[in-house]
Amino acid sequence: MTVLQTVAGGLVGTVVLTSVLRAATELHLTRIDLPFLLGTAVTADRTRAKALGYALHLLFGELFALVYLALFAAVGRHDWWLGALFGAGHGVFAGTALINVLLPLVHPRMGNDVSDATEVALMEAPGFLGRNYGPQTATVGLAAHVLFGVTVALFLGPG
Amino acid sequence: MRNDGAPAAEGRSRAGGQASAVPAPRREGGFLPLRSYAALGDGRSIALVAEDGAIDWLAWPNLDSDAFLAALLDPGRGGSFTVAPVEAYTVHRRYLPGTDVLETVFHTASGSVRVLDALTFKGRRLGPMRELQRRVEGVTGSVSMAWSVDVRFGFGQRRVRLGRRAGVPVATAGAEAVAVLPVNAGMPSTVDGRICGAFTTTAGSRSVVALCGAFGEPLVLPTAADLEERFDFTVEEWRRWSGTLACHGPWDDSVLRSALVLKSLIFSPSGAVAAAATTSLPELIGGARNWDYRYSWVRDAAFTLGTLLRLGCTPEAEAYFWWLLQATQLTHPRLQPLYRLDGGPRARERVLPVQGYRDSRPVRVGNAAATQLQLDSYGELMDCVWLHVQAGGTLDPDIGRRLAQVAELVADRWREPDAGIWEVRSAPRHFTHSTMMCWVALDRADRMASLGLLPSGRQSHWRTEAAACAAFVEQRCYSARVGSYTRSAGSDDLDASVLLGLLAGYGDSTSERWRATVAAIRRGLGRGDLLQRYTGEDGLAGGEGAFVACAFWLAQALARTGQVAEAAALVDRLVALTNDVGLLAEEIDPETGDFLGNLPQGLSHLALISAAAEVSALLDAP
Repeated sequence: MTVLQTVAGGLVGTVVLTSVLRAATELHLTRIDLPFLLGTAVTADRTRAKALGYALHLLFGELFALVYLALFAAVGRHDWWLGALFGAGHGVFAGTALINVLLPLVHPRMGNDVSDATEVALMEAPGFLGRNYGPQTATVGLAAHVLFGVTVALFLGPG
Repeated sequence: MRNDGAPAAEGRSRAGGQASAVPAPRREGGFLPLRSYAALGDGRSIALVAEDGAIDWLAWPNLDSDAFLAALLDPGRGGSFTVAPVEAYTVHRRYLPGTDVLETVFHTASGSVRVLDALTFKGRRLGPMRELQRRVEGVTGSVSMAWSVDVRFGFGQRRVRLGRRAGVPVATAGAEAVAVLPVNAGMPSTVDGRICGAFTTTAGSRSVVALCGAFGEPLVLPTAADLEERFDFTVEEWRRWSGTLACHGPWDDSVLRSALVLKSLIFSPSGAVAAAATTSLPELIGGARNWDYRYSWVRDAAFTLGTLLRLGCTPEAEAYFWWLLQATQLTHPRLQPLYRLDGGPRARERVLPVQGYRDSRPVRVGNAAATQLQLDSYGELMDCVWLHVQAGGTLDPDIGRRLAQVAELVADRWREPDAGIWEVRSAPRHFTHSTMMCWVALDRADRMASLGLLPSGRQSHWRTEAAACAAFVEQRCYSARVGSYTRSAGSDDLDASVLLGLLAGYGDSTSERWRATVAAIRRGLGRGDLLQRYTGEDGLAGGEGAFVACAFWLAQALARTGQVAEAAALVDRLVALTNDVGLLAEEIDPETGDFLGNLPQGLSHLALISAAAEVSALLDAP
């Protein structure tokens, strides 16, 4: 259970998570696009936003993987099902506090309940559990985060 | 905001002269005549705007996506976006010069108002994935306006959820979302599933109602300033592009409008040119000849490339050429008659459960003609490559080898019957036009091999087979009784498509056979100044209107056979058949002048440009 393994797990886990969300979009289940959301916090250029967004998303994935590592170390095991449990918790946190509350607060182009459309260009806010992006967003997001957690745990070797 | 201040000074009437305001059109069963539609484009999709201020057709994110405004095909369930005065009005339209931005001026008893419609380009700032702006400006007096947006995703077949984001009304279904953003256009409300508003204009007032689309991503909701900047940018970009065009001659206005239509039909991500913006607008009201034209046809290849080069659109010509070679590689060496705009070969046909334009069913999405054998396509492809080479384009050895394999296929298969350029659904036969175009394919391969662009190992074989093609046409496809090249071998039916053989360089244009054929086709297929496509059966029930492109081919053929003055007079009369804003559909009812078939139709506008350019050049010749 090393940092290097965690970094590798975080990288692959984020790729899995992004792919699942992208596939869900292609299947018309959701409009969530995490790289676009993250990238537009930094730049108004669409193309650059997507590229930067992917880089930021990978970076955040690594940070979360390191948090997982700390949690695995704290409980003294890193079974795949524990990774799935952490992933589920991560998914709930992301769908409720992270993208619903924190992201609109720090995103310079995202609206909130008191914004109107006459002041600054506004990104559509995700809403509770991301449901503004489609009613299936919460389910898809939860599944993607569970897979992230399982992937990180598997990269750490047998629990 | 920069645009032309004087409203509606340059519009043309239906007769082609200076326009005056016309009474508000009356819908019958929810439908307007197809003539009443103008088109807006942005290189990704096309919206159709009716004279009464309704946008009855728009497919996002792409031209060939399922439409979310489709009242054109189903007024009850299709969806539309209307902006119009509440009281009675007369209406007058034009495009802002050199743009695809439509200006509609409504005159009422209490004042007048102008509406500027545009599908905007993406601009320099973060904007929505797709955006449609309708800008309403008070001109005189005070006018009560009402607007209504009825979003129906998937041709009205999908359940739409209405909600709000930051106070902005939003319609969603799955991964698709459209926000309705009013600026100084009244408080939006929801009535019977529609998002509606009302406001009053005064002289100098400005309002906007914008649709912002997101597909597979969160919505971007722009500010009023962003909307205005993007609208101005769109006008500037259209004018910059149209300023580069080479449009000269007596029909330069019509050629410019046709060029703008063509640019709108170019699918910017790939360079493909869509045949038309719509699906299943009928070739006969109430009939079954309703097809999806949101694909790119190989048969239009040489016409398209030649026209783009003639207009000076070199980047678009290059993009189209390479798209064509990439798309056809998927089925190499066989050609499909048509490919998707992204270059894909699949075009599965299905029928939608919608009303159809004036009850013309079936409404089809996809096109089964993709699986037909159409031998003429090979000639079009090779002629297109030849035009590319003549314009200074290069071919690498690998492309040369591929084209040689195509020529080899033509040499092997030209004796087979096919479905022909008109994609008949009756039994295959030896169509004269197909055989002429096989001769073109082999002739161009021979010429390019002589230039070292194609491997020359089979050059003599291609030359022999080209001579055999010509002998077949001369012996089996010319009827002394009719005095014309005929529709197919051994038949006395006529077919306007054989004129394309003349225009592609088959035979001697000054020969008696060609002069007789041009006269016979005009006499036998003429419907006023227009032409029907052919005589004889085609495996489909019911008739159709006159095919617009054929009439321009006739004008060009007249010029090619030395009858230049007659050709010029015919072009004069044909350009007057465009609608009030210069658009053409696929067909025109010769009795009523009504448009029929899909619109705007690329082939009709290509034929207009081609005929106007050739006749102009011959008129100018010493």
